[in-house]
Amino acid sequence: MKRHNYKAITTILPIIFSGWLMYSCSLDMEPENMTPLSEALNTPANLEAALISVYANLRSADHYGRDMFAKADALADVTLATNNSGRFVAENRNDAGAHFSTGFWENSYFSIGEINRILAQIEKGVNGATPEQLRRWEGESKFLRALYLFDLVKVYAYIPTAIFQEGLVDQGGVPMPLSPVYDLENVLFGQDPRATIEQNYDQIILDLKDAIDLLEESERPVPQFASTAAAYALLSRVALYKGDWEMVVTASTAALSLPVGQLVFGMNYINGWKNPVNPESIFEVRFHDNSESLGSTFSLQSAFTTLLDVNEKNRLGGWGDLIPSPKILEAFGLSQLQTGNPASNNNNWDVTRNLDIRANLFTTGSNQRPNGRQIECVKFLGKNGFNYGDNIPVIRKSEMLLNRMEANFHLGKETEAFNEFVAFKIIKGLSPSILTGEELLEDILNERLKEFAFEGQRFFDLKRYGRAIDKSDYLGPDAIVPFEDFRILAPIPSGVVENNRNINQNRGY
Amino acid sequence: MKVFLSLLTCFLLISMSATLAQTRIVKGQVFSKKDNSPISGASIILKGTAIGTATDLDGRYVLQVNRDDFTLVFSYFGYQPQEVIFGEENDVDVYLVPLEEAEEARVPVQLPAEPKKDKLKSPSELIENIPFQSFDRALQGRIPGLLIRTATGIPGGNINARIRGVGSIFAGNEPLYVVDGVLLNNVSSSLFTQSNPLAFLNPNEIESIEVLRDAASTAIYGNQGGNGVILVTTKKGNPGKLRIGLNAYVGQNIPIKFFDVLDGPEWYMLRRDAFNNSNATSPEARALSNMGILPENWNQLSSEELDAIGMGLPTYDWQSEMMGRSMLHNYELNASGGTESTQYYVSGSYHYSGSTFAPVDFERGTIRASLTQKIGERIQLEANANLANIGQNVPFSLEGPFLGNPAFASSTILSHNAIFNEDGSFNEQIGGLASQNIALVRAFNSGKTTSNMAVGNFAVNYTIAEGLNYRGTVGVDYRDQEEFRFRDPRTPDGSEVNGRNTVANHLVERYMTHHRVDWSKAFENSVLNVYAGYEYLTENRENIRSEATNINTPGLDNFLTGSVLVFSDTLNTGYKRQGAYLGMNFELGEKYLIDLGTRMDGGSRFGSNYRYGFFPFVKLGWQISNEGGLRDSESVSLLRLRASWGMAGNDQIGDFSWMGFYGQGNSYAGEPGIRVRAFENPNLRWETNETINVGLDFGFVNDKITGGIDVFERNTRGLLLNFPIALDNSNDLSLRNVGGLRNRGIELSIQTMNLQRGSFSWYSGFNFSYIKNEVTSLYDGLLSVPQNPRWAVGQPVGNPAFPGQTAPGAWYLAEYTGVNPANGRPMWLDINGNRTYLPTNNDRVYFGSNFPPYFGGLSNTFKIKGFELTTFFTYEYGAVVSDGQYNFLRDNGNRFTFNALREINDRAWKAPGDMTDIPRDFALSGGEAARSQIRNFGTASLLKADFIRLSQLKIAYVFDPTILQNIGLQQASIYAQGINLWTYTDYPGYDPEFMGSGVGQIPIHKSYNIGVQLSF
Repeated sequence: MKRHNYKAITTILPIIFSGWLMYSCSLDMEPENMTPLSEALNTPANLEAALISVYANLRSADHYGRDMFAKADALADVTLATNNSGRFVAENRNDAGAHFSTGFWENSYFSIGEINRILAQIEKGVNGATPEQLRRWEGESKFLRALYLFDLVKVYAYIPTAIFQEGLVDQGGVPMPLSPVYDLENVLFGQDPRATIEQNYDQIILDLKDAIDLLEESERPVPQFASTAAAYALLSRVALYKGDWEMVVTASTAALSLPVGQLVFGMNYINGWKNPVNPESIFEVRFHDNSESLGSTFSLQSAFTTLLDVNEKNRLGGWGDLIPSPKILEAFGLSQLQTGNPASNNNNWDVTRNLDIRANLFTTGSNQRPNGRQIECVKFLGKNGFNYGDNIPVIRKSEMLLNRMEANFHLGKETEAFNEFVAFKIIKGLSPSILTGEELLEDILNERLKEFAFEGQRFFDLKRYGRAIDKSDYLGPDAIVPFEDFRILAPIPSGVVENNRNINQNRGY
Repeated sequence: MKVFLSLLTCFLLISMSATLAQTRIVKGQVFSKKDNSPISGASIILKGTAIGTATDLDGRYVLQVNRDDFTLVFSYFGYQPQEVIFGEENDVDVYLVPLEEAEEARVPVQLPAEPKKDKLKSPSELIENIPFQSFDRALQGRIPGLLIRTATGIPGGNINARIRGVGSIFAGNEPLYVVDGVLLNNVSSSLFTQSNPLAFLNPNEIESIEVLRDAASTAIYGNQGGNGVILVTTKKGNPGKLRIGLNAYVGQNIPIKFFDVLDGPEWYMLRRDAFNNSNATSPEARALSNMGILPENWNQLSSEELDAIGMGLPTYDWQSEMMGRSMLHNYELNASGGTESTQYYVSGSYHYSGSTFAPVDFERGTIRASLTQKIGERIQLEANANLANIGQNVPFSLEGPFLGNPAFASSTILSHNAIFNEDGSFNEQIGGLASQNIALVRAFNSGKTTSNMAVGNFAVNYTIAEGLNYRGTVGVDYRDQEEFRFRDPRTPDGSEVNGRNTVANHLVERYMTHHRVDWSKAFENSVLNVYAGYEYLTENRENIRSEATNINTPGLDNFLTGSVLVFSDTLNTGYKRQGAYLGMNFELGEKYLIDLGTRMDGGSRFGSNYRYGFFPFVKLGWQISNEGGLRDSESVSLLRLRASWGMAGNDQIGDFSWMGFYGQGNSYAGEPGIRVRAFENPNLRWETNETINVGLDFGFVNDKITGGIDVFERNTRGLLLNFPIALDNSNDLSLRNVGGLRNRGIELSIQTMNLQRGSFSWYSGFNFSYIKNEVTSLYDGLLSVPQNPRWAVGQPVGNPAFPGQTAPGAWYLAEYTGVNPANGRPMWLDINGNRTYLPTNNDRVYFGSNFPPYFGGLSNTFKIKGFELTTFFTYEYGAVVSDGQYNFLRDNGNRFTFNALREINDRAWKAPGDMTDIPRDFALSGGEAARSQIRNFGTASLLKADFIRLSQLKIAYVFDPTILQNIGLQQASIYAQGINLWTYTDYPGYDPEFMGSGVGQIPIHKSYNIGVQLSF
């Protein structure tokens, strides 16, 4: 037998095996179906979709979906909690801690985080995007960041026009992250300190001014998407809160002149509230279809009314947890009125109303809830064709008029303010009496109470004038929250305070 | 049948050698001098010739020699060859002396030899011919510290294996399985059934199984070793004459239990009385209406007439229709042999097992080949290949409360419903909530999962210099699975969409390579061994799914004319890992042993800050019995004290969990949105299992009593827990290594030779494990996880049923105290210990977990002459489970119009003063019923899953080799075996052994088989 040459094999084998070794050694692994976070937005479709999600987050029940209107009005003197489902009772009593929720904070900061990542990508460039797209995205992002930040600062901090013991007991504004974050530790344990209130407002105004310019050419549908008009309108409100009256006048005037939303008079105004899209809306949060409905647990409709249909009141709908306070009943001359027999049929009931056309936004509800038949606000009643998902008018044309007259009053232009006030009253079906000075201001603010009942503005109007929330006429003599009281500000979520060493909790919590 | 063809090929390949006229028959047994265990496969050669044989699995040999005086050479790898001169004696037992040093050099070892391994020393006795589809199931009750539970009765289904408890909540708890050095992916990928990847290997092909339990032994596997390692070695060829083995058995599977459910009139009465108790009007009519048999003119009938309808209802036995016996077959043929330089082993097998819910079944063919070739003195090549094809019929849902799932509906369907109409067609008017005719579903629906698997490796052993050896291997684990599920248009699930067909394909491929260098040297009084190695593994997985409707052809094709595609998606993922290790062991004076080393291990699943980790270990051993005083003692033959410490990692997390990514977000104004679903987590890393182990091995009275006892503490550090990144999207996983978990336990195993007198012998084996598991820390000083308070400090975590599931926490429920004898309403204890009808979340307390703290097994073997009787009991104690199927039945037709158990119905509260745990029946959730919690609330839904089970009863007869010789056989045995024949338990559900929800699962079954085993 011939002897094999094993030497050759012993030489070849190590070569083969070192080959195997060379093949290995790298642990880099890229998933095929996933894009890393920092690169995901580098296509127009993804960037667009990311922005869409930020709009959609406004629909959260913790924000415009419900709380920004319902909770704010529960805290203020606009509503009475019925205890039908138990919701908003504590907020209505202004119990300590019953305020805007942890979810509101988290949803807002999560959205601001998304915007920061979007803006960072826009700055780096988006593969295949046109300059027009880039401008529009940046404009919309900045509008949305301003909106989220403004809502945060007005809830968790004092408003510049009325800061309680500035620098002494107030803890300043809210954290203001502006750069993109991609890693978990920073998301969970961000250490951003609270900015000053001034810094917050400066940033909001900066973003809005950018948005005004960037969105000029935008062809996005309105009012569900941001526009130059929406940015002006929001700027008008921000300036009002800041006490920058000149800016209020400029911004309101610009918003009124732009063709986004229109002023409607008389019954057209009431019918506007039955349209899916309120004709007055300059910016609104859209509920597109039934899949986006918030249901009877979380929606504005359910919070405000037990009805599904004003023409068939025997169909039981939501919980009707918040009904008009005596102030509202009085303002519109509302009281229950039986219109037929038998009394057990809900369709045989309505309300008495005064001349104010806005009184038509109220009627009687269903007797099928624990608290029986009550007068309810029907601004949100399935007008989109499905229940529990009404579009939310965030800023309306009427507000521009009210903002401007209030600013003109503070600028000393009382005549202009009064003229605007008269025009406004006539639009709403009222004949004004002649008012001057503080009386005029009071009536302007009262007009805001009526105009924005069940739209969550009253709480902040009281707050920016440093006024007490007085519910003593219907919740008992102790139901007064003076401006000095810590309950004016919402508590920062305890998890945030524990994780973030640089954040000071608001006084009292 | 292709499998039979392959078997036939085996036959043809093997040429039968002619027998010579011989004059002497010698026989005996070959043992290892080291531990007196029989050596299987030792070669016996007539000196100076090529005539020879090899020992069988019990070390026995028989050889015919046509000479008067001759010498046989007995040899085996790793042992000193021994020559025995045969004079007049024909019956000679031989004890081979191990080549201590040579053993390391010549026997290819995967990883360093452990001072203590749980080795199934004699697979022929323990797991051979147990009619299980995968070997993991056969380990139940055999090894201390290893809990095995069969998930369901699906043949070839999932087996739940836990070594030393549950060590993780969010990462996996699966041990690492290594077959001949191939690191396996053991996660079932089937969408429609459970398909155990370990079923690729015919359990009878296994030579030995070792279970590595403590981190000191598994540290060398780095971050794959944290949950323990199960090493399997398959049978190999040995030098010697050709051996042919033939093995066949047939048997039956038998349902473990039929529920005693109510018949038609009984259920009617139950429901009628329940309506009565609810103060409902016309209870008779309501009950009949619930049963779907209210006559149209019921308004005109009196309650007596309605009653008569209900009392006259027929009864049909749906369980007997759907559940029943099924066949079990197994056929195997193998051939092995070789020379000093070449050894081979080839085999083919076919296995079929039905289930108790026909036509769910399992059919497998396997082919295996193992070849070893020496090249010169210094090189040895090895190749092993395992091929398997598995088919599983899955015609309907196998888990969950689906009305078309026979395992769910056969006991919940109301008995008055006929199965067939009078004309023989299926009855489609089924009254009650279980409203589908499952016999129809079974007849028309279809589905099949087919798996093709290949597992193999190639190895080179190279002796570089004396005492210095290299071994390199490449391995592959490949699995391709295609499956379809068809819902026929004639069935309720398929009629709405005119047929629905779902198709899936999964590909799992793993490639790995391992290189190792060993250097050993003997000194005057000591032995030193140093080793180093490198290992690399890559895994890719590809899944494709699609579903189509408007389709009436079952199969793998969804793109037929007219079909409507519902979805179609693909997923590609995978990971890589690599590690290097270095270690040494040193033995001094056969008394003291130290083994220490470390592995550096990294994987692509971890965040960039933690790609690599170190996993060190140290083991110390002291052979007390080799100390002067005990060295020659007969009463103490072995006494060894061991202590070890080590760390191992657990990398069973998602492949890209560290990555941040965008996923589906909310849509707005009709446009789709995306949002961040996970943030980048560069700090995500493995969980570290740190184990301290102290053990004692003993052997007394000439090794008539042997065993070991171990005490361990296994601490999981960096326990992964989930953080919500925001409250409104708390479903998003953000895992962080923050918590701690501890398993502590005692393990005992003892083997005794009870009696050996003449031809009678009796020996026993017993093992016992106690494992206490508890969460030691969470995060932020929390005592329980806010999103799931079942995970709480000081409480155990439960056992996750399937890979990929998070471990459930301890039971955290309000305690049920039975029924108020005055009114029959269920009561619970509130937090102050007062009875209440309406317990709240604040009244919850902890009630243990579904992991049994006590478990083990007891085996007894009796031998007399050729007869051998084996009994094997397994037991579990202390597990608390919730059995969904039983809970539906316990509802007693109250909330759901499902059938009820007679035992429950008899026990229900009926009149004031009745002391019972089953409340008064209500049919409407108004009145008092509305002001009580539902009857299964709180601990009312929990059951104790304690049992003692006769897992195996086997009687075998081994024919006398001298007689066999005349008919050309070397060895022959026949046996009869029963599995799970008897269970001692007061468990009221199907069976205490199951994993998961228990709803609609096929329960495990009994079986028996008879078989014959021959070798030529």
